[in-house]
Amino acid sequence: MQLTETGESRVNGYLYVLERSLKTFLPRDVVRDAVREIESHLRERIAAADAAPGEREAIERILAELGPPLRVAQAYSAERTIDEAVATGRFVPVVRAIWHLAVSTVVGFFTAIGLLVGYLIGIASIAVAVIKPFFPENAGIQFVHGVPVGFAAQFPVPEGTDLRGGYWVIPIALGFGFGVLVLTQRCARRYLAWWRERRLS
Amino acid sequence: MSHETWQEQLRRGSLDLAILLTVSSGPRYGLAIIQHLEAFTDLVVTEGTIYPILGRLTREGLLEATWVEGEAPHPRKYYRLTKAGAARLAHMTREWRAFTSKIDRLIDAARGHDHAAH
Repeated sequence: MQLTETGESRVNGYLYVLERSLKTFLPRDVVRDAVREIESHLRERIAAADAAPGEREAIERILAELGPPLRVAQAYSAERTIDEAVATGRFVPVVRAIWHLAVSTVVGFFTAIGLLVGYLIGIASIAVAVIKPFFPENAGIQFVHGVPVGFAAQFPVPEGTDLRGGYWVIPIALGFGFGVLVLTQRCARRYLAWWRERRLS
Repeated sequence: MSHETWQEQLRRGSLDLAILLTVSSGPRYGLAIIQHLEAFTDLVVTEGTIYPILGRLTREGLLEATWVEGEAPHPRKYYRLTKAGAARLAHMTREWRAFTSKIDRLIDAARGHDHAAH
């Protein structure tokens, strides 16, 4: 079947949406290769298709069999990002994979929130250690009504809040921050490995 | 677990083996793999989701991918089984046969028990 200009636009539109969706999660060279392969599939299917009863119906049938571009992109990115994260354990791929699951599944969304809290606590504790030498009165262990609630840096320090601790807070905050980050990262990797196993099983 | 979920897990679990079997007889491009799977099985539900699996199997070193131009009006990406892929396929095939024969024995035993009960 030879495509008319309208048919060509429909195919290009599908490939455009696919490319845009893949770009969110995958490196440029992987996206280019994936789109080229899907385009090859489409062109081949179209060339062999019967134009009856009409070009539009034929194209829609072929695109429906291939699957919606967002679903195809999701399958690509799930395979790629989670595999990379589990294999390398590096921070960026892990965060990318967590983000991917967060936007595509309900369980992933709530897990991502939990992990985000872990990462934020770790980063905030390290930030307190960095700020402490420059603003010793504004960073330390926060006590609210006499109860310690964690490391904090506040500008200005609000009423009823007490920031205590000398420079000895720095190594403790650093140790605590890195400890929480490492623990959160391990949890993230374990979660992704579990997800991968579940997908393969 | 619902019946549909069980079927979906069964389908997903056997797709890797089905793809490796499909390319074991010689290199095939994506659409040819899909058509082969469709001819022999009902494992392909959405054609577009086969390509990411081919990509993963390639990254794992079980398949090797090569773009071929000039053979058709559009370039085709051919997949062939690597040595590691052939070894994995042999292992998976053995595992599959052993597994299905155990389940068959269980089914036969259950049927025999049913007949005896009646």
